[in-house]
Amino acid sequence: MDKQLELLQGTLDMLILKAISLGPLHGYGILLRIQQISKDRLEIQQGSLYPALYRLEDQGWIGSEWGESDNKRKAKYYHLTAAGKRRLQTEAEKWNRMAEVIEGILHARPEEV
Amino acid sequence: MRLWKRAGAWLEATLGRSRMESEMDAELRFHLEARVADLVCGGMKREEAQRRAQMEFGSLEQAKEECRDVRGVNFIDSLVQDVRYGLRMLRKSPGFTCVAVLTLALGIGANTVVFGVVNALLLRPLPVERPSELVFVENNHYGAGQSFPNYQDLRDRNRTFAGLAGYRESPMELETNAGAERIWGYLATGNYFAVLGVKAAVGRFFEQSDDRHPGASPYAVLSYSAWQTRFAADPSIVGKTIRINRLPYTVLGVAPKDFHGTELLYWPEVWVPMMMEPQIERQNLWLDNRNTWNTWVIGRLQPNVSSRQAEADLNGIATELARRYPLEDEALQFKLAKPGLVGDLLGDPARAFALGVLALGGLVLLAACTNLASLLMARATDRQRELAIRLAIGAGGGRVMRQILTETLVLSLAGGGAGFALAECVSQALNRLRGPIDFPFQYSANPDWRVFLFALVVSIITGGLFGAAPAWRASTAKPDSVIKQASGSSRGSHLALQDALVVAQVALCSVLVCACLLSLRGLRQALKMNLGFEPQQVSVVAFELGLAGYSEEQGQAFQERALQATEQLPGVRSASFSNSFPLSIDQSHTDMIFPANETEIRSNERVSVNAYQVSPQFFATMGTKLLAGRDFNWHDGAKAPQVAIVNVAFGKAVLHTDNSVGKRFRNGPGGPAVEVVGVVEDGKYESLTESRAPAVFWPVLQQYNSTTTLEVRSARPATEMVGEMRRAISRLDPELPVYGAGSLREMLGFAYFPTRAAAIALSAFGVLAIILAATGIHGLVAYTVSRRTHEIGIRMTLGARRTQVLRLVLTRTAALLALGSVFGAILVVAMGKVMATIVYEVEPRDPLVMTGVLLTMALLGLSASWSPARRATRVDPIVALRYE
Repeated sequence: MDKQLELLQGTLDMLILKAISLGPLHGYGILLRIQQISKDRLEIQQGSLYPALYRLEDQGWIGSEWGESDNKRKAKYYHLTAAGKRRLQTEAEKWNRMAEVIEGILHARPEEV
Repeated sequence: MRLWKRAGAWLEATLGRSRMESEMDAELRFHLEARVADLVCGGMKREEAQRRAQMEFGSLEQAKEECRDVRGVNFIDSLVQDVRYGLRMLRKSPGFTCVAVLTLALGIGANTVVFGVVNALLLRPLPVERPSELVFVENNHYGAGQSFPNYQDLRDRNRTFAGLAGYRESPMELETNAGAERIWGYLATGNYFAVLGVKAAVGRFFEQSDDRHPGASPYAVLSYSAWQTRFAADPSIVGKTIRINRLPYTVLGVAPKDFHGTELLYWPEVWVPMMMEPQIERQNLWLDNRNTWNTWVIGRLQPNVSSRQAEADLNGIATELARRYPLEDEALQFKLAKPGLVGDLLGDPARAFALGVLALGGLVLLAACTNLASLLMARATDRQRELAIRLAIGAGGGRVMRQILTETLVLSLAGGGAGFALAECVSQALNRLRGPIDFPFQYSANPDWRVFLFALVVSIITGGLFGAAPAWRASTAKPDSVIKQASGSSRGSHLALQDALVVAQVALCSVLVCACLLSLRGLRQALKMNLGFEPQQVSVVAFELGLAGYSEEQGQAFQERALQATEQLPGVRSASFSNSFPLSIDQSHTDMIFPANETEIRSNERVSVNAYQVSPQFFATMGTKLLAGRDFNWHDGAKAPQVAIVNVAFGKAVLHTDNSVGKRFRNGPGGPAVEVVGVVEDGKYESLTESRAPAVFWPVLQQYNSTTTLEVRSARPATEMVGEMRRAISRLDPELPVYGAGSLREMLGFAYFPTRAAAIALSAFGVLAIILAATGIHGLVAYTVSRRTHEIGIRMTLGARRTQVLRLVLTRTAALLALGSVFGAILVVAMGKVMATIVYEVEPRDPLVMTGVLLTMALLGLSASWSPARRATRVDPIVALRYE
């Protein structure tokens, strides 16, 4: 197994928003989906997942309701709100711009300077 | 919006706490179980999977805590926790808690009492409609009083007032089932109640139409308490006839319970329309006289009119009055003042006094704060280990700081509560306090919401003040070093801070002790002051013949008979009567006197002269020295040449001579020439602070006055003497009410009131300060000794003698005391102005007082450090060393 990458500061919120933008999920489901999409290359502190969820809900970007899990257990499902969709969009744009800039810097060659 | 949503979520979170908790639990449990199930699916053993899931997740509690933080539940939670913890800590050290609460109760209580008085006199609005619109009209001639014709002109010609009402305090004789009694009431213009906007509690008030023609409106309005106490709350009082000054008056209504007119210190029992003045005062003395400045005027400004505009308006009228009536109104100017304390007459000194006392009260509180701060510092040092452990196991610095502040706040609120209760008791006692004088001098210092708020705010500020330093120090403690160091004799910056606190405390204490000594010295000086008469052994009794229906001839005859009857009482050395006496409340003035060789009075030379009508033997009875000439005798009657006796100041100010005997003057233009037959020493006439006021004494046979005070000089006790005088008078007229009876000393209570009040207030502060400083110093020394027991033990094993140990302990204290006293002395000098407003005729740098302060502080330091210092010399080296 490849060594897992530690999550960059402040990106967990964005990943959670992205994960549930694909469909409502419970907390553990969010964890699994992020790991699945990232092909297990990201390490997510499980303990920090829930405070982040509570914070996002408090800010009105995600909502929640109790439902039934695949194995007939009661679970709390999170979904994206309209505000959350906009938020995800701006966050993603910001992230892409940032990545571009940083990539540009890292690929700079002597003759370009 | 966002704020609302947050608040809502917070409220929901707080209220739905248990629901949130259980949901959070369920959610996290689901997570763990799902993980375990996945791991088991992957082929792990169940137990192993559980362990693994738990490990991956990390601390469940921490996650929950963070979730709660997000929802804002934690603030309230930790507050409750802090309060609970604080209470537990305080319960664990009852001695400390007791001392702290008591200290705070005294400090906050003292300030609450003072603030209560300030509130009653200066802050609380009058119980009338829109009190902020009311203003009191003063003038540059006589201050508070206006002449009635001038008032009428102001009322009718102003363009800035919604209404101007005139009123005048007046003694009356009221007949009830209990007999006739002399009471105090108001003569008030018909618009009085309408201008003030007061509604009658029962019946109605008189109106402008009830006050048109002299003598035509025999109506009366009773105060609530007069209705309750004098007429047994008679429900059908309205329309009934009562007798005032032996004439019938119809009761129109009763004033509301909390309405006592607009003068805070004068609670009238009856209001009568102004036009009844000739009946109430038995002669039309001043309704038509532009030169009797008797009427107090209060006005309600029109909306949107500033008092500056109103003043300009009134002064426009004044200019015209001065042109039309140059004799009375020349150079007249009006000025508006805050109503409540006879304008600025009482208002200015009362305000200065109250604020001065409040400032000193603040110092007492500050002393209490420093005391508690050093107590807490000592405690915090002892608690360092506990706090360090809390810091080490992860409590944040802010959290520990909040914990300590919560603790001190709990303490200060407890102290504030006790202080408020204490203040309430003292205020009740103050309310009951009445001068032994015949005057409804009364006020209500009952704590209202303002006083409560004051106590609350002061408590919170106090808690913050004395808790700040220890809290800050605790939160910045380095856990490792503290725990490693154990309870070793750490002597660092905190002791320096504590030293500073003691120095501050000693400085504050010496200021307050100085204020206390100054006020006592002021009182002593006032009591020893030459008043121009000897109040010892003089008894007085007063009655009012005009109100009782006596004509001038009847009155004069009665006065003489009463005097003769009094002279025959056993033990009477000398007796006399007069209309009034110096330093009583009832003082008359004239400013129409001018030398006989001048043709008319020059307005720029007008001198206000205190005037009395006195019988022969008045000066002998009062103990006033006759410096030249002769006393009056019974031949100075209506048919004899007009004579007068004056004081030395009168000669200088009016006659411009040092030898007035034989000189002549006129009393008003066109008056007969009056010859000065005697000169008496100067005295105090209106207040103890006045200097060399001129006075004139008229013989009673040439100037009748129906107000009569009998004076008797006798070695017999005043209570006995007064009883006999009362009986002698009632033998002559059983119906005649007698008032103002007692020893002359008692009757001077009003004049001595400010000095006495200052002495009482400042002595209380001084004693409080001494107690606080004593406990503070004692605490410091005791603490130092206990911290240094180890060191002292070593020194003693090495052969230190007791005196050396004593020196070790006391040098520091002595140095702090000296430093504090020096700061205190500097403060005293700097505060000289404040002191002067409270204590008059006393120099703050008085050497006697300074010595007294230093002596007190030295004694204080010595006695406070005595027992701990002795404890230090008795340290048993073996025990001390083993103890560590």
